[in-house]
Amino acid sequence: MPTVRLRAAAEYPPAAQKLFELSSSWFNHDFAEPPAMSRVMAWDIEFGGPHGRAMKRAMAPGEFTRGEKEMVAASVSGINACEY
Amino acid sequence: MTGDAVWYEAAQVVGITHALNVATDALGALGMVEEADAPPETRALFAEICAFYESPEVPPAFRLIAHDPGYAADVWAAARRGYADNRLSRRFKEALAFAVSLTTRSATGTAFHLGEMRRLGVGPRGIMEIVGVTQMFSSYTKIADTLQLEPDMGDIAPGDPTPAPGGPTR
Repeated sequence: MPTVRLRAAAEYPPAAQKLFELSSSWFNHDFAEPPAMSRVMAWDIEFGGPHGRAMKRAMAPGEFTRGEKEMVAASVSGINACEY
Repeated sequence: MTGDAVWYEAAQVVGITHALNVATDALGALGMVEEADAPPETRALFAEICAFYESPEVPPAFRLIAHDPGYAADVWAAARRGYADNRLSRRFKEALAFAVSLTTRSATGTAFHLGEMRRLGVGPRGIMEIVGVTQMFSSYTKIADTLQLEPDMGDIAPGDPTPAPGGPTR
């Protein structure tokens, strides 16, 4: 069970709604509620905004494809024993 | 990256990279096998490893475990299979091994796989791409763990219904 109460998207201010739209677009998936991590990052836009931009910059296709980078990300998460 | 086969390959790279890093980082007390003093089967093994890496140097992990030539040969056979071009390219597998080494704080593994990435043609931008992904997801995972978030994106990718290699179709 999460340490914090994850707020529904409707409980967030307009600035965060923009971030949720970007999240849905990034995953190309229509979530009933934004993913938990998106809602966590939207809690403080001044942290979540640049953190998300750094992630998107790192994950954008370049010398490696987005798919290859997703695989690296999944492996890093697995090594860190992160179930999420 | 659809289908399970590429993920099985990636898992092999993660596992064998960690196994080799464990030896390199922590097994120094055992001492490395010197090629000049090694029996013929070990010298042949070292020659095969050097050919694979196009290097005159045998990676320390193999010199540390070559005290048992049979064991070292089996580990090498698994490593060669894991790192070779298959569905995933060797170039990408080295990038994955670099990320594994960085995440597990293996300085020797990080340096080795950084060198292999460069040798296989990955440029400074590509290296920073892998650094960025590794660093950002090291952050996300710790945030998720701190808040004990539960997985909620497991169903956005379809399952792979194909059988294991050589197995019957369901």
